[in-house]
Amino acid sequence: MPAPRQPDARANALIAAYEHAGYVRVEPAILQPAEPFLDLSGEDIRRRMFLVSDAASAELCLRPDLTIPVACDYLASAEAGKPAKYCYLGPVFRDLGARSAELMQAGIESFGRTDTAAADAETIALALEATARYGLGAPDIRMGDVGLFAGLIESLDLAPAWQRRLIKDFNRKTTLAHDLERLALGSGARPEYHGVLAALANSDPAAAHAFVTDLLSIAGITTVGGRSVGEIADRFLEQATLGAAALPHETRMLIERFLSVAGDPPAAASSLRALARDAGIGLDPMLDAFEERNALLAKRGLALQSVKFATAFGRGFDYYTGVVFELHDPAGRADGQLVAGGRYDGLLARLGNVALPAVGFAIWIERLAALGSRA
Amino acid sequence: MSALVIAVPAKGRLQENADAFFARAGLKLVQPRGAREYRGSIEGYDGIEVAYLSAAEITQQLGQGAVHLGITGEDLVREMIPDADVKVVLIEGLGFGHANVVVAVPQAWIDVRNMADLDDVATAFRHKRDRRMRVATKYVNLTRDFFAGHGVADYRIVESSGATEGAPAAGTAELIVDITSTGATLAANGLKVIEDGTILRSQANLVAARGATWSAKVRATARIVLDRIAAHLRAREFREVRTRFAGCDDKLMAAARQRFGVATPFGGPTSSGMLTLHCPPREIHALASFLRDHGAQAVVIADIDYVFTAENALFARLEAALNR
Repeated sequence: MPAPRQPDARANALIAAYEHAGYVRVEPAILQPAEPFLDLSGEDIRRRMFLVSDAASAELCLRPDLTIPVACDYLASAEAGKPAKYCYLGPVFRDLGARSAELMQAGIESFGRTDTAAADAETIALALEATARYGLGAPDIRMGDVGLFAGLIESLDLAPAWQRRLIKDFNRKTTLAHDLERLALGSGARPEYHGVLAALANSDPAAAHAFVTDLLSIAGITTVGGRSVGEIADRFLEQATLGAAALPHETRMLIERFLSVAGDPPAAASSLRALARDAGIGLDPMLDAFEERNALLAKRGLALQSVKFATAFGRGFDYYTGVVFELHDPAGRADGQLVAGGRYDGLLARLGNVALPAVGFAIWIERLAALGSRA
Repeated sequence: MSALVIAVPAKGRLQENADAFFARAGLKLVQPRGAREYRGSIEGYDGIEVAYLSAAEITQQLGQGAVHLGITGEDLVREMIPDADVKVVLIEGLGFGHANVVVAVPQAWIDVRNMADLDDVATAFRHKRDRRMRVATKYVNLTRDFFAGHGVADYRIVESSGATEGAPAAGTAELIVDITSTGATLAANGLKVIEDGTILRSQANLVAARGATWSAKVRATARIVLDRIAAHLRAREFREVRTRFAGCDDKLMAAARQRFGVATPFGGPTSSGMLTLHCPPREIHALASFLRDHGAQAVVIADIDYVFTAENALFARLEAALNR
């Protein structure tokens, strides 16, 4: 079946409903600068992007999603900095090998709302409207909250090197278990530099820093590339302080226990409260916000017991900062998620130095449309 | 495409090496009107067309099945052809054009010894500067796959088409992924290869395109060409050792095989005690001593031009790939 090139009537009706709910319909350009996509999503997305360059060899692409274009247009508009709500419906382009490269996507973006829990709940409710319009009344709802893991790591007394490593790993699930293992075993001896590191281990930081800096200049090593001698010396010394130390066993157990929390959102919240109490760490503000969102979702008529919440659930992109969710076909007919979204409070700051909260989702129109025909 | 089309490099060291390689295999490439002609043939063979192309074009055309066979570096095959193992088959490494694709960082980065360090530095760099560390390279795909395999996420690729090693000094990238044979150019630019940062050990390869039209006639021609090349390659790996002595027995032969890696193309000694062995070049002196210790009076060692064997290993490899 060739992919429909025009959105079907249900998609148009859905967008009309979003407009009615106060989301202004926008139509960003198809051809976009490639830089923001590569910067925010990383190199992995490059293989799926259609890249072109103009005569001045600026890198352009056919938009692989609409969140970034909508955000860029917003930042360039007179509305930038003020709360704004947008919706969209149009094609995105991804190199998926044999499958069609042109995909119809709809979605909403909500920028600048500070009532986080209410904005999250509204967004999820609007996402559920999409599946409902295609006849899927009870989609499989998978949910997580990236902010919870970040909050946990922050509350633990970990070396900065380990903190940034674990946060990075969380966004790339493949390496997290492996890294926990490694950190728990310790980095092992670093025989080549053991002498220097041992000599510096107990000296005062400023003197040690000066020593390493001098060492580099004595060796006639000048800096090339973007890292300064000071930065290199700092990390060298950080490695010295960490030495062969290992992640404490109880910290590892705590992280693993945290990541194993799964169930419906209220149950997950009480498991996390118990975990915080047992470990003597303060997660209360974070968990209060979590429960506030749950309450607002319930108020909107969502049956929370049907939501599959997991602390380990993330969407693999590191610009998400809070709630993340995906809606799936419970019968497994679709080739992936039908709707996916979440909170990305860091996005606007990264794109345009405007620190504003943001939340939204994208809808795979063809996947929804195919549900009926494949039933 | 009724002729067997072989793509060979059109210029530079790779062309000289490829030319010499074919010549040693008894296949003389002829360019009818000198170096400006981009189509040639092989002296004495009908049904073969030689296409002179750049290494990048050869790789591309192999990927598309526009030529049957080609000589190109494995680095380009892995970089330029998506699903390389489906589209082409690397029939044999040719022993020239050796180079490694490596991750190289400034020597001043004394805190970076391996990919795990690099991963950590990349993440810290992004936290500190709110931008990703830049990697200059022309090997975009190799870099991406290798970095992904090591969990490195916080970087950006800056495509570079030449003088990649100068990028860190020029301030256009923090580190590079590039090809190196001795490491001298990297060192001259204040760069070092990190410990587990060798992405690929590459050399020139004879490559076949699975997507080309392999008619029975083309296959027959390929069989002859590959037979020649196989005979040459095998000859290159050995020296011929001839000797005669009475004390040669099976036990001695087994010892020679095991200690020196010798092959016995014609089996054991003849009734008059004549023995022919094929021995790897690095073992010839040891073997000569060994044979004399066991009673040989004279040992004659000579270069060999060809070893034609009943089986044609290269063609067998091609056929297996085409029938896959």
